[in-house]
Amino acid sequence: MKTNILKNKFYLGLSALSVLLLLLAWTYVSISGGGLIPTPFETFKRFIELLYKPVANGTIFIHLLVSLKRVIIAFLIASFAGIFLGVMLGWNKRFNAFFGPIFEILRPIPPIAWIPLVILWFGIGETPKVVIVFIGSFVPIVLNTFSGIKMIDSLLISAGKVLGANERQLLWDVAMPASLPAILAGMKTALGSGWMCVLAAEMVVAKQGVGFLIVRGMESGDSSLIIVCMIVIGLVSALITFSLTKFERKMCPWQTR
Amino acid sequence: MGSDIKVQVKNLTKKFGDLLVLDNASFDIKKGEFLCIVGPTGCGKTTFLNLLVKLIEPTEGQILIDGEPADPKKHNLSFVFQEPSAFPWLTVEQNIRYGLETKKVAEGIIKERTDQIIGLLGLEKFRKSYPHQLSASTEQRIVIGRSFAMHPDLLLMDEPYGQMDIKLRYYLEDEVIKLWKATGSTVIFITHNIEEAVYLAERCLVLSQKPTTVKSEVVIDLERPRNIADPRFIDIRQKVTDMIKWW
Repeated sequence: MKTNILKNKFYLGLSALSVLLLLLAWTYVSISGGGLIPTPFETFKRFIELLYKPVANGTIFIHLLVSLKRVIIAFLIASFAGIFLGVMLGWNKRFNAFFGPIFEILRPIPPIAWIPLVILWFGIGETPKVVIVFIGSFVPIVLNTFSGIKMIDSLLISAGKVLGANERQLLWDVAMPASLPAILAGMKTALGSGWMCVLAAEMVVAKQGVGFLIVRGMESGDSSLIIVCMIVIGLVSALITFSLTKFERKMCPWQTR
Repeated sequence: MGSDIKVQVKNLTKKFGDLLVLDNASFDIKKGEFLCIVGPTGCGKTTFLNLLVKLIEPTEGQILIDGEPADPKKHNLSFVFQEPSAFPWLTVEQNIRYGLETKKVAEGIIKERTDQIIGLLGLEKFRKSYPHQLSASTEQRIVIGRSFAMHPDLLLMDEPYGQMDIKLRYYLEDEVIKLWKATGSTVIFITHNIEEAVYLAERCLVLSQKPTTVKSEVVIDLERPRNIADPRFIDIRQKVTDMIKWW
């Protein structure tokens, strides 16, 4: 018991040490870099400033909310559409034969490559950003749902059949719960990819959002602003992953060991 | 013979192209009977089972349940696979309820039967557990309980204890007898373990090498619980073993 606590303290100490070393290295590089890179302290100061002083009519909090809103709207639409398409591709042979090839052709195109076309088609308002995020998060959800359905243990399907389940019950009572862990994993990947896409879209053309702030920082030579945004992006990503993992545990209690 | 016949298998024949797998197999099963089927390895046992639960159609012959052609939609045919097949996302209780729920049985009956099965299996304290939290043998017991809960017209068991050690098997065999007696189900139990067959069955069908046919049948009228050291038990076991020998 006592050695366990000591061990945990030791590991915690190691983690703290690594962060401290990173900060020290950062400070060293910024001091010897002649002002190109801000020190951690300057960055922190800039962050506090951004909390109450707006950049392009919004504090960092407002910009973050704008980006998050775009991601969440697109992610929700992508989840519904993606799960539907993935299930249909995996469950229905005819549907797969008909739509599978189209999806296979479109799938490998990086979502960011769509940005120019989407801007041409939808202009520079909210819609193009949501569309880009949608494209970015739709594909991983479809792929994971599809393989989740395809990889169901056939024994479970047979078990459902001999217990009298009809086709609809087999899909809802057996296939869906059996592939739920894969679907949720796809949603996790999708949210990460969506978050990446929103930044790219905002960096190309936007009046608000974290991606826009980064570009603003670049244009005005404000490296602290860029670094603050990068750290915020990282933290938000980590937070999103954490909450999705919690959600996953709640949805799939049989997966926890 | 007469009205106590539950299942009639008449001249069942299966060919895959020119390959004759099952040749003119006929037998009856009485209502509530426990029938074991033994046969040499590779004797087309799987085909035989798949025909019985109508997963494949016979080339000739038919299977009648209560005098009518067997129909999975109408009759209650259940199957316990060799590998445990509990649904991992359902708790023990939900697994046992599942088949009854798909058949839209009244809630009162579902509850009553589920409680009965959980009681017989002694799984009260694992009611809310998920299969992965239990051992493989317990998972198989849940699956067996789930099948018995449906009070099937015909329950087929395909070497359900094939993967378990001998000590556990005796325990589980006693348990399956308990479930069978409590639910009055008609059971076909397939095994290649002759001792297991003699321990469980009221009657034992011996299959031949391919093309499979029913070679002979042995009625086992020993009282229960059976004693594997009883000379009469050993006698029957020897008789069945001799019938199965192909070397």
